[in-house]
Amino acid sequence: MSSPGKEIIHLDNLRKTYVMGSEEVHALDGVDLSILQGEYVAIMGPSGSGKSTLMNLIGCLDTPTSGGYVLNGNQVGDLSEDELAYIRNREIGFVFQTFNLLPRLTALKNVELPLIYSGIGVSEREERARESLDLVELADRVDHRPNELSGGQRQRVAIARALVTRPTILLADEPTGNLDSTTSMDIMKLLNQLNKNGNTIILVTHEKDIARHAKRAVVIRDGKIISDGSTDTLGEETSAIASTESTSYSHSEDPS
Amino acid sequence: MSILEAIRIAIGSILSNKLRSFLTLLGTIISISSIVAVISVINGLNIYVEESISNLGKGVFVISKFGVIHNRDDLFAAIRRNKNLRLQDGLAIKKACDLVDEVGVEIHASAKAKRENLSIEGVDVGGITESILDIEPFEIDAGRNFTRSEIVGRSYAVFLGNDVREALFPDTDPIGKKITVGQRRFLVVGAAKKRGSVFGMSRDNYVKIPITTFQKIYGTWGSVNISCRKAPGVPIDEAMDQARVVLRSRHHLKYKDEDDFGIVTSDGLNDLWKNLTAAIFSIATFVVGISLVVSGIVIMNIMLVAVIERTREIGVRKAVGATNRDITRQFLVESVILSCLGGFLGLLLAAALSVIIQNVSPLPARFPLWAPPMAFFICTTIGIFFGLNPARKASRLDPIEALRAE
Repeated sequence: MSSPGKEIIHLDNLRKTYVMGSEEVHALDGVDLSILQGEYVAIMGPSGSGKSTLMNLIGCLDTPTSGGYVLNGNQVGDLSEDELAYIRNREIGFVFQTFNLLPRLTALKNVELPLIYSGIGVSEREERARESLDLVELADRVDHRPNELSGGQRQRVAIARALVTRPTILLADEPTGNLDSTTSMDIMKLLNQLNKNGNTIILVTHEKDIARHAKRAVVIRDGKIISDGSTDTLGEETSAIASTESTSYSHSEDPS
Repeated sequence: MSILEAIRIAIGSILSNKLRSFLTLLGTIISISSIVAVISVINGLNIYVEESISNLGKGVFVISKFGVIHNRDDLFAAIRRNKNLRLQDGLAIKKACDLVDEVGVEIHASAKAKRENLSIEGVDVGGITESILDIEPFEIDAGRNFTRSEIVGRSYAVFLGNDVREALFPDTDPIGKKITVGQRRFLVVGAAKKRGSVFGMSRDNYVKIPITTFQKIYGTWGSVNISCRKAPGVPIDEAMDQARVVLRSRHHLKYKDEDDFGIVTSDGLNDLWKNLTAAIFSIATFVVGISLVVSGIVIMNIMLVAVIERTREIGVRKAVGATNRDITRQFLVESVILSCLGGFLGLLLAAALSVIIQNVSPLPARFPLWAPPMAFFICTTIGIFFGLNPARKASRLDPIEALRAE
């Protein structure tokens, strides 16, 4: 574990450009960002703002067109696909909006999944997966398959899976997007608790209420950071964004 | 990720889709079982031939009018050229060849055998010298072989094959009894052990009588077969050459003339047989090879479907740290397991088939021990070859795209 306050994410003039036909789209247009050990950061922005692209880059699922990215001391800007897989396995825990559990596997096996790719033996794998499920208070559901669990329980399994490798950062992409408000509150409480225990959390969301759980909010628009500060000030200046978001969201909302 | 882990994952996904996996396997099952069944029959025939069709013992060769003839032109040439062999030829070989330690002479006809109201048709009547029973092993079950004086004295003595014995003496001891063969009455001196059948043809429907008696009844014009056993420690080729020289000089052949007789050895018969089965084998292999390719294509097809179906899973695995190699390995192992499972079930089916063939049809079948490793090798090759493309496709998926997939 790195010491508290250490810089674990450093983005330096990060750019991502997609070429669509003859047109160049700047999804990220020079982003500088620094995140310290133990921080709880919300990344906000309407769809098309570049927030997903930023999340994919931070999560090492994608590589930037230019600019530097240092994750926990590793230059990850131009690693090969397999090197990125290695980094994802050890440094990053993903929590997705749609949970992304494997339906054939039990909760326990789902949580074990990342450890398979770390080359950890069967008995240690199971032990750590149980510990992790215990942490999200699902110790009594280890042998259930995802379709035998409620939405909130599924997301807890996903969080347990993200935590099982003891990653440097927990990257949660709209973790409450598919949950009702009561269950959402439970999940946010869990994330808050995890942050209190020392986990660095990056929360990607468009909901102000959810973002308020974080301590710092980074707002993105048109591929640029337009504000970065405490969530206490998250109010007047971002309300415009939130309203833009809600209208655009109602158009693009996926019925599923 | 270890290979063991990949096997575990693959078995999990094969089991989660049992019906589809089974249908995929059907092609492999059928092709592997059919090729192994064909191999079993050929193998069974080979063993059978070695054991029984060529009754000739080790170191024995038979000189006959025609020998083994491979094609029609040779047959016509032989019919024009070859002379009948006579009892005296055999005796001359016995006298002149020191590399041949035993010579037997035999000639055949067919007749009906009767006793009281019992009878058997189509009995192979062999006129022999007494050494035939030693050279072509006929095991004596009761009584004895002919004596020298019975052969020389043209006596009406008969030695029974098992079918004739069972037909004419269903519940009495045949030794010392009289039977009728053709028009003559014979005294039974011995009976042979059962030899069984080949392709449904009995090999026990015969009687042996002294060759002199035979020639008295049927005349001396027919061609005889001369069975020779080489002396111990002598190469069989040298013994054959010696006998050949004797016969050629008796037939007044010139240096450049071809032999006007044929020589058959058990090795020669086996070679002929093996050539024949090798041809059957290669045709069968070709046909089954095509069906194996088809079953490989079926596996490839289903693996391509699996990759599309499991795009989301691939995305999740990549997100939590699976490398491209891990994904390739997972799908490759799955296709290899699929085809090997098919091969295994095919082997079981083939083993069952060869038991059924053995018991129901006249064809002998023997499951060869090298079939399982061969099937395993073929199936692994097919699994890798046809699994490579789907596995590559899976490993090259972009994790972001894959996670978005429905």
